[in-house]
Amino acid sequence: MASNTTTADTASTGSASTEPILRVNDVTKTYGEGHTAVTAVANASLAVKEGEFVSLLGPSGSGKTTLISMIGGLLTSTSGTIELGDVDVSTLSKKDLTAFRAQRVGFVFQASNLVPFLTAKENLVYVATLRKDYDRKQASKRADELLGELGLSERIGNLPEQLSGGERQRVAIGRALMNDPDLVLVDEPTASLDTELGRQVVQLLAREVKDRGKTGIMVTHDLRMVEYTDQVFEILDGKLSAEGTGKEKAKSH
Amino acid sequence: MMLAWAEIRRSSGRFLSIIGALSLITFLVLTLSALSDGLFFGSTGAVKAPSAQAYVFSEDAEGSFIRSQIPAADVEKYRQLDGIDRAGPVGVLLTSGKASSGELDVAVFGVDPESASAPQTVTKGRLPTPAENGVAAIDDSAKGVEIGSTVTVGDVPVEIVGLTSGSSYQLQPTLWTTVDTWTAMQESVRPETRGLPAYVSAIALDLSAGTTVESLRSIAGTVVLTEDQAALAIPGVEQQRSTLNSIIYTTLLVAALVVALFFALIVLEKRDLFAALKALGTSTGRLGRSVIIQAIFASVIGVILGAIASRLLGLVIPSEVPTLYLTNSLIQISVFTIVASVLGAVFSLRRIAKIDPATALGGNL
Ligand SMILES: Nc1ncnc2c1ncn2[C@@H]1O[C@H](COP(=O)(O)OP(=O)(O)O)[C@@H](O)[C@H]1O
Ligand SMILES: [Mg+2]
Repeated sequence: MASNTTTADTASTGSASTEPILRVNDVTKTYGEGHTAVTAVANASLAVKEGEFVSLLGPSGSGKTTLISMIGGLLTSTSGTIELGDVDVSTLSKKDLTAFRAQRVGFVFQASNLVPFLTAKENLVYVATLRKDYDRKQASKRADELLGELGLSERIGNLPEQLSGGERQRVAIGRALMNDPDLVLVDEPTASLDTELGRQVVQLLAREVKDRGKTGIMVTHDLRMVEYTDQVFEILDGKLSAEGTGKEKAKSH
Repeated sequence: MMLAWAEIRRSSGRFLSIIGALSLITFLVLTLSALSDGLFFGSTGAVKAPSAQAYVFSEDAEGSFIRSQIPAADVEKYRQLDGIDRAGPVGVLLTSGKASSGELDVAVFGVDPESASAPQTVTKGRLPTPAENGVAAIDDSAKGVEIGSTVTVGDVPVEIVGLTSGSSYQLQPTLWTTVDTWTAMQESVRPETRGLPAYVSAIALDLSAGTTVESLRSIAGTVVLTEDQAALAIPGVEQQRSTLNSIIYTTLLVAALVVALFFALIVLEKRDLFAALKALGTSTGRLGRSVIIQAIFASVIGVILGAIASRLLGLVIPSEVPTLYLTNSLIQISVFTIVASVLGAVFSLRRIAKIDPATALGGNL
């Protein structure tokens, strides 16, 4: 990966590339109370810089979804802090979290979850309407550009049902990037795709995250996908550990 | 709103079904209401057409013109009372007569053409003058009867000199005559009434400003009812009205349930989508608004189609079926249906609020 260009890129936007933009400090999440309490994430800490794409690996039920849900403002932590830039996510109200997700986080879900009655382009424009500073013309232009970059120029007027699985995931990537978020969270993006398509989608994600100076976290249990990520974290029974770079981790298997 | 409209446009099939259901419901309710109004006015027109705001009946008659008998002298007594502007006699006979066009059911109303009991809705010709016997005006619902026709009741013939509208009684055209002509017809058709001391069926009262029926002191042996009370006391009227009204209200309730069910299903089906939209930063309020917009859209279109269908039916319905399409009823029912639909949709808001955006992630549990 061209990490040098990424660094140069982010530096030119004026932010300090060495300072992590996302800081997860000692975060714990416990579901339920008393006997039935389940600690899904225990004292997890991690830091990710701008332009970095990291993967979160672990078997089913290990706490991956819980962790990125907290980072993305979908779930409140039981303890610990999560900071994205200057915002402490763990202190936001429900209403502020909704706005936070709309403006600062892009999600790519496991099943693309596109709005079935909106065209590819409208699916992108829709998330722009969630912004306070929504500008119709600008949103339309940006959606065209994004879909073009994702190789979907011919598909902008198609409904999701008219797209292939890979195309749908690419539209979902466009949607995640539409509001120029700081953070892109991706949950098992290849679950519904075959290996080759999955690989292409992940490569595309990695490229977009880096080129745009975003911070990306991808949940996966597919080791073959980690080689496209800069850092690998592994979570087992709620306990998070750093596993080095994606290339190293991919080779070790 | 982008989501609401796009869904209506692109999944028009399912919206056509709810619009279809709502237009059928509106059609049914409007037609029932036209029937209810038609029956009501067809039954009570003769009570509404005169200027009277109140009617006097004999105490034991329970407001029935047919059962009521009041000494003729009481008309003058009422005329003298404080709070009464005018008092006019009403003699009623439900019977059938003969016209050149054949047998004809009529309600003979013997009245004082210059008092509170005279109909105000003459559309053609004139009423008899107070002492003019042998002539009558008739409600224009009488088939085949024109000015100049002769209608014979018992052995008493009258020449028709005028037509009135909206003045039938118990769905029979009213024959407006003088009290003397009515008495002659009554004695001819019902010989047992011959030789009775002079009487009338009821007395129509014009009240002076500020006077109410409650404040009126009635003459012994009589009761005073308001025009509306007298109308509802006509046999069958109240039953018809309450039966049809309860069908109408039940149908409106069904409209609310249909819409509630429809949107409950839509929301259930879109649970995952709504969770994802919430995760992307869509507020519950915005999702709720889009459902409400859809409910308003579906019900407005449904109501318009139902109203058109019901009016078209009104055009082809045979005139024997008493229907009356009132703008007031149309507006009322349209508003009720739309409100009922929106209330139905409001029920799904709670479900939308309950959807947890966190469930959008992690389908691998
Ligand atoms: N809403 C919840 N309520 C209770 N327990 C939960 C809930 N969500 C997840 N868990 C539990 O937390 C643990 C971690 O789940 P999750 O974060 O979904 O793991 P992963 O995404 O790695 O499969 C599991 O034991 C799961 O059963
Ligand atoms: Mg998961």
